[in-house]
Amino acid sequence: MDINGACIKIILDGSLGVSSAEPSRCFRQQLPNNQEILLKRIIIFCALFCVACAMTAQAKTDVYGKGVTLTEATAVSAILDNPDTYLGKMVRVEGMIIEVCAKRGCWMYVAGDRQGEKIQVKVTDGEIVFPMSASGRMGVVEGVVEELKLSRDEMIKYQQHLAEEKGQPFDPSTVKDERMIRLIGLGAEIEG
Amino acid sequence: MKWRKWNIIIHRDLGYLCFGLTILYVISGVAVNHIHDWNPTYKIEKSMVEVDLSAVDPADDRALTSAVLGQLGETGELKNIYRQDAQTLKIFVVNNNITVDLVNSNVFQEKSNQRPLLYQANFLHLNHAKKLWTWFADLYAVCLGLLAISGILILKGRKGLSGRGKWLVGVGFLAPIFFLWLYS
Repeated sequence: MDINGACIKIILDGSLGVSSAEPSRCFRQQLPNNQEILLKRIIIFCALFCVACAMTAQAKTDVYGKGVTLTEATAVSAILDNPDTYLGKMVRVEGMIIEVCAKRGCWMYVAGDRQGEKIQVKVTDGEIVFPMSASGRMGVVEGVVEELKLSRDEMIKYQQHLAEEKGQPFDPSTVKDERMIRLIGLGAEIEG
Repeated sequence: MKWRKWNIIIHRDLGYLCFGLTILYVISGVAVNHIHDWNPTYKIEKSMVEVDLSAVDPADDRALTSAVLGQLGETGELKNIYRQDAQTLKIFVVNNNITVDLVNSNVFQEKSNQRPLLYQANFLHLNHAKKLWTWFADLYAVCLGLLAISGILILKGRKGLSGRGKWLVGVGFLAPIFFLWLYS
């Protein structure tokens, strides 16, 4: 035990010398050389660095993409009522996240301020990935208002694709002839 | 030659260093390649059950939630409730999204759990972490490049680059070119 204790002390000190307090039985050939000490120091540093990173990652709000810079929120109802006013403009939308793409995290729906209304936030695949755990959380999203111009058949196919991604049943008759207004998401903050 | 000795040392030690992340990327790479067939990150279980809400006020979202969760035996942390419309109530529990059809008393559950190891592997491989990881992954990519270059320079002679090596390297280049031609 004494020998082992002395050796561990030497490793942590980074010294090859044996102090007077250490037992003389600790054989020189059992000591690590300079390279091994350096390697062990690197490993310890990396481990501590990873722990520190993991601790700082415990933030309450998760930031996606470029984050959110706008301070004034626009109501979803305002965008859906007057889409032409907002097309191509950057807006900040706040609300509960009620659906997230289960496969790629490439879209989510934010509930509107009026019951039953929601707006899709579409992001570039891989650039921003919304986690499944975001559903049911409050979120702030920044993005550009866009109109997805699709024929009725295309819209049915698109809605069918979304339903398939969610693994939900799809009824084509539920697709209404209305404009598909969505946000191209550039950044978001979602409560953790 | 002295440079060849250093080449072997670099190849050997980089190989040791890159081993862990390479295996992680192998696992994630195969998993993500088949994203059309399965969800490589989450295990999602969907189910439909019927509940009895006859004794609950249909306008009281809290009471409805309590009744539904109780009958489902769901004890996870409640995140939020959302009344989508008069007929639909959404209940968000950690790892479980519940949609209640208040007219038919049908409950659709979507339980999602992170796949152990794969979630973490995909998180890193697909660079969801961004920030510092991006630089680390770049460094890893450079190391892979060095591994490849040092690898083809280890041997000399008939089994080296000047021998069979050049043909095998050629095949390695031809494979992606063939698929690019095939799908062009």
